[in-house]
Amino acid sequence: MKAVTANRLIDGEVVFWKDGAWVDGFGDAQLFDDEQGEQVEAAVAAGKAAPTVIVDPYPIDLITVEGLGLAPVSYRERIRALGPTNELLHGKQAEGGAVVEAIRHASGAARSTGRVDLIRRK
Amino acid sequence: MYQYDVIDREFLTDRSNEFRHQVTRRLAGELTEDQFKPLRLMNGLYLQLHAYMLRVAIPYGSLNSRQARRLAWVARTYDKGYGHMTTRQNIQFNWIKLKDAPDILDALAEVDLHAIQTSGNCIRNTTADPYAGATAEEIDDPRVWSEVIRQWSTLHPEFSYLPRKFKIAITGALTDRAAVKVHDIGLILRRARDGSLGFEVIVGGGQGRTPYVGPTIKQHLPASSLLSYLEAVLRVYNRHGRRDNIYKARIKILVAALGADEFGRQVEEEWAKIDQGRADLGDLELARIRGAFAQTPFEALPARSEAFEAAKAASPALARFARNNVKAHKKPGYAIVEVSLKAVGQTPGDATADQLDVAADLAERYSLDDLRVTHAQNLVLPHVKLDDLPAVHAALEAAGLATPNIDLISDIIACPGLDYCALANARAIPIAQDIAKTFADPDRAEKIGELKIKISGCINACGHHHVAHIGILGVDKKGEEFYQLSLGGSGAEDASIGKILGPALAADRVAPAIDTLVDTYLAARQGEERFLDTYRRVGLEPFKEAVYAQAD
Repeated sequence: MKAVTANRLIDGEVVFWKDGAWVDGFGDAQLFDDEQGEQVEAAVAAGKAAPTVIVDPYPIDLITVEGLGLAPVSYRERIRALGPTNELLHGKQAEGGAVVEAIRHASGAARSTGRVDLIRRK
Repeated sequence: MYQYDVIDREFLTDRSNEFRHQVTRRLAGELTEDQFKPLRLMNGLYLQLHAYMLRVAIPYGSLNSRQARRLAWVARTYDKGYGHMTTRQNIQFNWIKLKDAPDILDALAEVDLHAIQTSGNCIRNTTADPYAGATAEEIDDPRVWSEVIRQWSTLHPEFSYLPRKFKIAITGALTDRAAVKVHDIGLILRRARDGSLGFEVIVGGGQGRTPYVGPTIKQHLPASSLLSYLEAVLRVYNRHGRRDNIYKARIKILVAALGADEFGRQVEEEWAKIDQGRADLGDLELARIRGAFAQTPFEALPARSEAFEAAKAASPALARFARNNVKAHKKPGYAIVEVSLKAVGQTPGDATADQLDVAADLAERYSLDDLRVTHAQNLVLPHVKLDDLPAVHAALEAAGLATPNIDLISDIIACPGLDYCALANARAIPIAQDIAKTFADPDRAEKIGELKIKISGCINACGHHHVAHIGILGVDKKGEEFYQLSLGGSGAEDASIGKILGPALAADRVAPAIDTLVDTYLAARQGEERFLDTYRRVGLEPFKEAVYAQAD
């Protein structure tokens, strides 16, 4: 599974693609299965076409957390979806709930594969 | 402290207005992100994991109470109520919105603060000994020269687009609290035999993925020739530095490639071409800047304070604080007070808005309106009367700022790491918190003595792990956070680069490994040896065996 993420230009907030718009919560993100590669590309392209709304859209890989739901594969993306681990009331995690719990219980991090196009040439 | 004049203030206002205009154009789509990014970086604004981060310059780590209160106000108004002191004596705010950044810069400019040249390939904020003007060891006040460099380097047209960032540090004391040997340029103030003031000039030190202790290229540069000589060094670097490869672009790579002698020769050749009458600062202007730092109104006091001695005898907590956080001052009856931002459970270097306000109040009331930030991510009240120490300690204690652990094992340097930073591979803060918890017993910490642990979340080494007695580097090992330990580094006058202990460890094994290293040290220690001394005597092997034997 994949989702598409970016940071919002005006405030830097982490956002996720959902049906033509950018939403704040990972729990609201549109999910793409492996057959929907074209839709992932279309979402990234839509982000790139809206440079006054968001910065640097890219797809991320997701995993299933046993019995809890989905979470980003990479540690980096999990921290983006939650907030910093030293301040548990800061960032998106402050809201709590099932989505936050699922991400917190995810394991098997893989930063290097979590962001699909992380390695970019200068 | 140095006071901005009309020209300085107009300059800051103009700069702030310019940035406001640039933000407006970016939001309107008139500037692309690629066009805008270098502009925001030149104003200290990064896009990190959760939000924008604003890095505010604290020139040579020196603040007055009004400035500290304004930083607290920014933290409260535009951030989530805290700021993070950096290893370059700056402060970072983690939760800034782009739309607010111009208002914040305006608010900072009102108190003579800014974020200029806290990023980008330019000459960054010059760092200096945080005990400047307070320590008796000092040959001359490094703030004077840091301010000279600040004025000279700000928006310097020739040096605003260097091959890579450029960092200068200055100490006026032989005890190096500014890590001058691991900077692009390190300056040590010295007096020649004839009494003339000069600098030992060290060039090409640095950390990152290729760490070097910098070589000395000039033993005694006459102080009055500082700017012309810096111009020559920067010009040679600007001409020959590697712009083709970001990993080889720092001056340390050039100095290592040419050799210190050849680099020094080229600098001398360049220096000879410079008209020193144009490039160097006139005596009058130097005297004006010097005058700004010479007005500290110390009182004539007895060297011993009965009130302090009595309070210390009655309070073990104050006695412990005095042993670890109170340092000798050049004037009788005064002390330098270090304020630790490393309480157990705290994020190293973070201060809440309320704590910044308390520090500002104490600076104003008890420390001649002077507050410093150290490269070890702590604060300093540089001029406290011994008589006032009990009151200062009580106020710090009430604010959670009296942790008596300066230079002890829990006084850990840590970069923001993967909790905030877009470049990080692994988290640094939770590792520091784990270690601080493991060594929370203050008696044990004092028994262990000076032990500097420094943690970086990636090889860029903002956490100075290469020059730690025990360095910890976060790495990405098959997608998991792992930590590579190194031993024997030092960022002080006995500078050295640490050696890697062995294979990287999982996060939950780091604090136990530090415990093992400490036990190994205590068993091998002779006399009053510090951890670093014991390591240098016995070498890596006993430590390696202890940590990895346990793993088998």
